[in-house]
Amino acid sequence: MEVKIEKNQDITTVKFIGRLDTPASQEVAKTLMPLEKDANGTFILDCEELEYISSSGLRIFLSLRKAAAVKGGNVVVRNINNNIRNVFMMTGFLNLFDIE
Amino acid sequence: MKKKFSLRNKFLRRELWTGMLLLVVAALTLEATTLVQYYFAQKSITEIASRRAEDNLENAKVDIMNILNQVETAIRNDIWMVRACLPNRDTIWKVTEHVVSENPAVVGSTVALVPGYYKDRKLFSPYSFRDTETGEIIHKTLAYEEYDYPSKQWFIEGLKHEDGFWSEPYLDVGGGDIMMTTFSMPVRDYEGTIAAVITADISLGWLKSVFDDLVIYPEAFSMLFSREGKLMVSPVESLVMHNTIHEVSKQFTDTAAMKVFTEAVMSGKSGNLKVHGEKSFSHVYFAPIERTGWSMSIVIPNDQIMGDIKKHNRMVLLFQLIGLMMLLLILLSAHRNQKKYKKLSENEERLEQELEIAKGIQMSMIPKTFPPFSERNDIDLAAMIVPAKEVGGDLYDFFIKDEHLYFCIGDVSGKGVPASLVMAMTKSLFRAVSSHEKSPRHIVNVMNESFTEMNEQNYFMTFFCGVLDLANGHLRYCNAGHDTPLILAESIKKLPVVSNLPLGVIQDYDYQEQDTNLIYDDALFLYTDGVTEAENVDHKMFGENRMGAILHTRRSPQDHLKAIYDSVEEFVGGAPQSDDLTMLFIHFTNEALKNPSQWRLVLHNDIGQIDRLTEFINMIAQKIELDPDLAQSINLALEEAVMNVISYAYPEGTEGEIKVDASARKNTIRFTISDTGQEFDPTAIPEVDTSLGLEDRQIGGLGIHLVRKIMDRVSYQRLEDKNILTLTKTIRENNGS
Repeated sequence: MEVKIEKNQDITTVKFIGRLDTPASQEVAKTLMPLEKDANGTFILDCEELEYISSSGLRIFLSLRKAAAVKGGNVVVRNINNNIRNVFMMTGFLNLFDIE
Repeated sequence: MKKKFSLRNKFLRRELWTGMLLLVVAALTLEATTLVQYYFAQKSITEIASRRAEDNLENAKVDIMNILNQVETAIRNDIWMVRACLPNRDTIWKVTEHVVSENPAVVGSTVALVPGYYKDRKLFSPYSFRDTETGEIIHKTLAYEEYDYPSKQWFIEGLKHEDGFWSEPYLDVGGGDIMMTTFSMPVRDYEGTIAAVITADISLGWLKSVFDDLVIYPEAFSMLFSREGKLMVSPVESLVMHNTIHEVSKQFTDTAAMKVFTEAVMSGKSGNLKVHGEKSFSHVYFAPIERTGWSMSIVIPNDQIMGDIKKHNRMVLLFQLIGLMMLLLILLSAHRNQKKYKKLSENEERLEQELEIAKGIQMSMIPKTFPPFSERNDIDLAAMIVPAKEVGGDLYDFFIKDEHLYFCIGDVSGKGVPASLVMAMTKSLFRAVSSHEKSPRHIVNVMNESFTEMNEQNYFMTFFCGVLDLANGHLRYCNAGHDTPLILAESIKKLPVVSNLPLGVIQDYDYQEQDTNLIYDDALFLYTDGVTEAENVDHKMFGENRMGAILHTRRSPQDHLKAIYDSVEEFVGGAPQSDDLTMLFIHFTNEALKNPSQWRLVLHNDIGQIDRLTEFINMIAQKIELDPDLAQSINLALEEAVMNVISYAYPEGTEGEIKVDASARKNTIRFTISDTGQEFDPTAIPEVDTSLGLEDRQIGGLGIHLVRKIMDRVSYQRLEDKNILTLTKTIRENNGS
């Protein structure tokens, strides 16, 4: 699992590459936690190369989304594949995020 | 010669007539027995219904009196207040207000003074009532010109009845046409003179619901009449308070019974009577409520009470009829064929011919085409029956209905013609009962009941009945004292059976049912003791071991039976066959139930092991050619389930194993996750609400939610200190998710 973070003024793009399962989520959570303080801007979560997500990965998404809601920021989820869209649907996440 | 033949013919004819006569006598006896039974059953059912009706009337009375008593008690308790207020009449309304406000059942209350009690006021009657819309309590004085209360029933009777009086029900015209009644009783002043009547008006809107509860049969109904015969509760709502008992009585054609009913009700009696209608009659039960002069009644059509027993009786008659028809058939064809062979001069020879015919008839009753289901590839079956004499008391039968194989084998005590008649009857009974019963236990119970009923000769029969679900191999069976069938799976074993009792011993015996699962290539072998107890000239028996040895070799069902029969014949040698011999071999060949593929993975309680789980799922997916999207969903469900175990069953710092067993069949894949950690039931976690908005969404609970969504069945068991979670997924034909 690899995460690439790009910052461009108040837009932060996070690119997920690989499988976001439970062990991977523990690492990724550590990387993304510091970003929550910038949650007043826009986050773009690019999932083009995200192959798999488990509930621990969903928790990271939700936590970021909650932080943004508190600080007046925005979270956009981009390029999710069908499998992940299906998981989003089963968990009601489609209604919680802007999906592009 | 000619003369001799005509004599013989006469003799034959006489025999037929004797047979017919016996048959008629048997039929009459059977029907008579049934009718007597029916009569007693009817009587006891009517008694039960009467008791229920009377209990219900008593209960209704208690319910009604509970409410009315509350009102009476409230009024009695307030009389001293009226007495105290009498000298100062402008305070009396405080009492009426108190009565209304303290008793929710009371709609209004008045204290009506005896005319002239106060010298300066002819009529005085302060009145409080609850406004139906606002609930506020309003006061006014009733004594205006139009309302001449001294002429009202409640006032007149209230003065007379020291312990109170319930008025005739009336409609509260101003207050929404609600049925009301008024309770009134006299008030004496300190000198002991009757000074006033205190009343409480109560609404009777709740009465109907009390009587709704009384209706114990769907077409029964209840009625309530007032002291003067006014209809207070009726199944026809529009008649309430408009019709009287006299008008109601006219609705019935049985005027004599209704006259008795009217008189009994009007004089406050309790009892019951029958009221005849056009086709049937009804039972009418009635009882008074003495306090109010009301009378309750329940009307139950007789058909409603007798509903079940009539149906039951029809069934019994039908079975008897079938049995008798069979007997008639045998008798007639035996006779018809006798004519054909009348040239045979030897009596013995003729008898043999007759038996030969009877054998033909008997054999035509059981299925004998093998293989019977050549169009199916999930079942193969063979059966054989060899009577010791021409006709016998052994029986087998089988047929397929709704993808279930129904089969049975049985052995009547005794042999020869009498046993064959019992066998014929049993066979038709089996077909008749199993045409609408799926459970072997019910089939055997009903058969036993009918068998015992018709069993005047005290025959009994060992019997085994099975119902095999051809789609999934589920076998339900019930054994009535028959030889234990063998199950041929990986090894040959006896099917575990409770032996129960043979048919015909105890009429209402409740047989136990058992079940097991067959998989592809399993077989059942059923037999009668004619096989194992076949004797040779030295009186040695063929025995189970010789039989088992033959079954060990792999053969088709027909070949199996032939091999056993040949072996029995060889063993017996020249000895005469001592008992009927019957075998039934069922080979289950549903390929969908081939032994499933199985895999196991053992993990430690460490998050790092999740990768191994993913590999494991991918390996299985490849083996059974699972759609990759579906494989990924299953991977997700398994990861969530295993993570739950790691997080909750094993607290931090403890170590343990998690076993994941997978098994795949044609269209299902099942995972069993077991661990030895502390008790943890993930299925008890409440469902998360995925429709909640962002603020209300909790971070947790998503894992088990995903497991539930992805898998078709999730079940948890705590067994021998293990948590066992079973996840099942059905894979559709197109293998999509």
